[in-house]
Amino acid sequence: MGDDYSRIAVTPANIALEGKDSSMQLLVTGYDADENPTDLTHLAQYSLDSEIATVSRTGVIRSRQDGASVITVLFADHQVNVPVTTSHTHARITLNFENDIIPILSRYRCNTSGCHGKAEGQNGFKLSVFGFDPIADYQAIAMEGRGRRVFPGSPQASLLLRKMSGGIPHGGGIPIRPDRPEYRTMRDWIAQGLPVGSKEDATIVSLEITPRQRIFKMGETQQLRAMATLSDRRKLDVTELTQFQTNSPNQAVVDALGHVTAGQSPGMAAVMATYMGQVDVLQVFVPRGDAIDAYPDSKKSNFIDGHVLDNLKKLNIIPSGDCDDEQFLRRVYIDTIGTLPTADEARSFLASKNVDKREQLIDQLLDRDEFSTYWALKWSDLLRVDRLALGHENAYLYYNWIRESFQENKPLNQFARELLVAEGPLRESPAGLFYKAVPTANKRASTVSQVFLGIRIECAECHHHPYDRWGQKDYFGMQAFFTQLQYKPSRAGEMLLTSGSPVTKHPRTGEVVNAYALGTGMPEQSPEGDRRQVLADWMTATNNPWFASNVANRTWAHFLGRGIVEPVDDVRLTNPPTNPALLDALSQHFKDSEFDYRRLVKTILMSATYQRSPDVNRTNERDEQNYSRYLFKQLEAEVMLDAISQVTGRMEKFEGVPVGSRAIELWDSSVPNYFLKVFGRPVRATACECERVSEPTISQVLHVLNSPAIQKKLSHQDGRIRAIGVDFADNKKAVQEIYLTCFARYPTSDELAAAVEYLEQTDDRQTGLEDVAWSVMNSLEFLFNH
Amino acid sequence: MRKQRFCDGIHRRDMLRFGAAGAFGMGLTLPSLLEHEARLKANGTETKDTSLIIVFLQGGLSTIDTWDMKPDAPSEFRGDFSPIATNLPGVQISEHLPKLSKVHDMFSLVRSFGHANSNHGQADHFMLTGYPHGPGFNGGLKPNNQKPCVGAVIGRELGPRGGVPPYVCLPRMHNSAGSSYLGSAATPFVVGADPNAPDFKVPDLAPPVAVASRRLNDRRSLLKTINRYEQSAIIQANQGARAMRTYQEKAFELMTSEATKAAFDINSEPDAVREKYGRNMLGQSCLMARRLIEAGVRCAFVNHIDWDTHYNNFHVLKNELLPKLDAAMSSLLTDLEDRGMLDSTMVLVTGEFGRTPRINKDAGRDHWGPSCAIALAGGGVQGGRVIGASNERAERPATTPFGPADLMATIYHGMGIDPEREFLTPEGRPVPIVPGTGRVISELF
Repeated sequence: MGDDYSRIAVTPANIALEGKDSSMQLLVTGYDADENPTDLTHLAQYSLDSEIATVSRTGVIRSRQDGASVITVLFADHQVNVPVTTSHTHARITLNFENDIIPILSRYRCNTSGCHGKAEGQNGFKLSVFGFDPIADYQAIAMEGRGRRVFPGSPQASLLLRKMSGGIPHGGGIPIRPDRPEYRTMRDWIAQGLPVGSKEDATIVSLEITPRQRIFKMGETQQLRAMATLSDRRKLDVTELTQFQTNSPNQAVVDALGHVTAGQSPGMAAVMATYMGQVDVLQVFVPRGDAIDAYPDSKKSNFIDGHVLDNLKKLNIIPSGDCDDEQFLRRVYIDTIGTLPTADEARSFLASKNVDKREQLIDQLLDRDEFSTYWALKWSDLLRVDRLALGHENAYLYYNWIRESFQENKPLNQFARELLVAEGPLRESPAGLFYKAVPTANKRASTVSQVFLGIRIECAECHHHPYDRWGQKDYFGMQAFFTQLQYKPSRAGEMLLTSGSPVTKHPRTGEVVNAYALGTGMPEQSPEGDRRQVLADWMTATNNPWFASNVANRTWAHFLGRGIVEPVDDVRLTNPPTNPALLDALSQHFKDSEFDYRRLVKTILMSATYQRSPDVNRTNERDEQNYSRYLFKQLEAEVMLDAISQVTGRMEKFEGVPVGSRAIELWDSSVPNYFLKVFGRPVRATACECERVSEPTISQVLHVLNSPAIQKKLSHQDGRIRAIGVDFADNKKAVQEIYLTCFARYPTSDELAAAVEYLEQTDDRQTGLEDVAWSVMNSLEFLFNH
Repeated sequence: MRKQRFCDGIHRRDMLRFGAAGAFGMGLTLPSLLEHEARLKANGTETKDTSLIIVFLQGGLSTIDTWDMKPDAPSEFRGDFSPIATNLPGVQISEHLPKLSKVHDMFSLVRSFGHANSNHGQADHFMLTGYPHGPGFNGGLKPNNQKPCVGAVIGRELGPRGGVPPYVCLPRMHNSAGSSYLGSAATPFVVGADPNAPDFKVPDLAPPVAVASRRLNDRRSLLKTINRYEQSAIIQANQGARAMRTYQEKAFELMTSEATKAAFDINSEPDAVREKYGRNMLGQSCLMARRLIEAGVRCAFVNHIDWDTHYNNFHVLKNELLPKLDAAMSSLLTDLEDRGMLDSTMVLVTGEFGRTPRINKDAGRDHWGPSCAIALAGGGVQGGRVIGASNERAERPATTPFGPADLMATIYHGMGIDPEREFLTPEGRPVPIVPGTGRVISELF
């Protein structure tokens, strides 16, 4: 085994522990001749000939007495010596409730919503969820229950210690046994007379885990170390008190002590570490098992492809080849303008010998009216164009502002700015209707964050975000931007105004919170005038860390079927992008082109990655994460209904809109329509992209198979199928026309033969043609984009 | 009030994808069924020909006003209703369930039941899967299942019987009725219409009148030949497409099944029977559930909403909800018994939680997970038993407490499904159908 590694390395190279029961997780790494690392932490042998500290089999050093010595780390024929010094092990250090006790309650999940953290507490003992309210927690422990929970005179007799260590029955089991250092800390804190701690005590400023990135073989393991940096610059090992969680168990799982095991599916995962509201993350990378000796060259059309291929190469996945023109044609129409190509459009594109014809087609589509209509539909979902909330006239005004913004290719940062700072008569400033659709300052703060930044801060309304760095103060800092808004009637109709300088208070501490944006510092004074200007300046500046990247990621996810951050509106340090370089490059490109939306779309469409075939090969059949092939996407409800109307030549009739309107033109998502309901049209109740259901159901299948409405479209006497029957007397030509109309391609010879044979055997040619069209419309090729 | 929250740490879309992944080697095949039967026989249990009807009172049935009354509690707890005697000596239930009081020998109550969740959505998931919700749970998703619903497990394990789907949800989908990692093959067939409606018809179940049955067959065979991807490995590698194809196969089976058509024809039921069940959504749904079980359905899930009585609890229960429940449940039990089906059909009547013992300022009761009695009958469950007790104000169990995991173990035991059974997810992770803590409530059998 020793032969596998040319050297081993141990970190940290030397250890200085301060105070009793201080600990340090050693990490032992073996490197092969190519400097590839393997974690040996749980396999190495540790020895320490001294009473100053103990060392566990998993490499945890813990101080006992002052002194200096050396730990010997052995693995096979490798040896590394690690000097260790210990000091202040007998110093009486006054503990701090918030810094020393709450982390223990959090680590052992005492304060989760399933236990004492739930609203009514557990068996009369209630803690704040995740320890967000230390004052209340201190009272619950030190004062409630007539002080019977803790006895400073005889700490071991305290109910708190006896319950948690198994001395008396406890519904939550025995989380901390008496031989644990956490037990000793709790006991000492009680013995010290329950100190709250001093305001001068150092607080945590950041958390860092080691390693932060790692390529795993399938099934391989890695021990993590978590270090906290305190406000007095000390660094402490807090691995044992850190909580770990994976975002993708198929790629990696992690135990309570930070030991990670890679899974059997290739791809990426993030293992999150949380300690006292600070988070850090290990990026897990699990390549396919068998390496590819001669990795084939793939086409690169622009910067996107390099970043995608870099990732695929590391994962040992070979991408599929270029899609054919037929696939490209139908795909790019549906993805870009939510519309099927017509038979004529298909014929002309397929016949063209122009080498630039794909780019020309993209340019044509970006110029079409349907582009604006389709993207207005998608943004109307997010920005809540809701007739029931806004009324008919207002909803239409608001929708038109969105659609016109896309029509004139308004830079996306300007679009966001107009919405953020809208004021005056709503008729003239319809973007201000956003604030009517989302009527409270709290909801406005969380909706704006989720839609424009991709960040969900809603949790932080009540407590510190469990998986991110946002606290309640950050939440109310955002909320404060929107508290000045008022609606007043005027001669010009209803007006949106800002007035006064209402104070936002932190709901728990009562502290005044001035408006400030996520990740910035709170100003001493509330911003002058309309605070939303400050927010808009910050959000739309090129150095905003999220705005461009969020729009780029949402757009990418639309075309490629999966976000680089997924879900697209859950950007967190602990939910990292699967391809950070790609996301950065897309975001930079979007900024460089001054937030030109069509430019961003064109760049994505021009990439070889977008133009890949849906074919699978042995290496990418299980990959749905890394863009190694084009993923099937079910047509969205409106797009599918329009497609059915288009190929049958019979428009759907909707209540309250002009005859001939398409489903993607519906600005009101509550227009009744069974088809749209069954296929998952969102109701626009939230800002979540997930409202649009993309899962197939049996009701959808039955509806396309059996709906009388669809059969009526097929057989209508003024419909397209009847016209094809009349215009094309030759069965071959008629079948060809149906294929071009529905699939934007010519039938294969087998398909043609089967359909023609069917037509020849049928008694009634017209119903035969209907049957062919029906079969085509029920095929997966029709129901999906591919 | 239901409140949607999106504070999750896990990717919901991944959950969804995960959920749709089932057809990949997971569909119910004859070999897997035979293997399962062989294993049960080896364990000394026979496969039973059993079925389950869930009558789910969504919103949360007030069990302190029905199954577990506390007439001696202070007035702010005990409420407006009085208990009445039942045909079981010494056992009382609410005065507003007079029909049920005469057939208590046919069903049993577990009064020491409860769980730690008082939120809609989360509690629904808990009660219907036996598993508490995990990180990233979003109750608003349809379905929101992180673990399969009991109905999906039963459908998957016992398989189809005849031409009807094994698992049916009516009148509409319940958010936690989904199949999670069991995949598209195990999702419920959703009726999607109110059986009490005069023009009740399952939408799209039959081809349009213009399309004769011979033509349907022609179309079906044509469909197989014209699809570019029909025979392709590409479908296997795309979850949505794979699920859609599974549904297409199931759809054709459904459409061509005479048994399905007959079962859904509620108009063929005599008027007297329909009246007895009650001419309302709950009554007719229960009647439909019985018809479906008769036709071969393994799990019929009746999802009845409106039980979230935060306001005017007593008025609403007395005048509206309890008379419906009384008629529907008593008719269902006697009907099953008369037809000799009760021994093989388990009936579960429950909400996602009970309601607060202390009456609120609006004369209502709020959500209360810690104590909620459940009613069970048939399928091996002995009638006329009252298991356990809650404390003097029905705030929590006073005797050995039972919870959702125990309920699942009990149902699977009654269905002849090994409660220790584990499923493999498509990624190969073993997941037990009942979480480790679940124990069969043996006092019921």
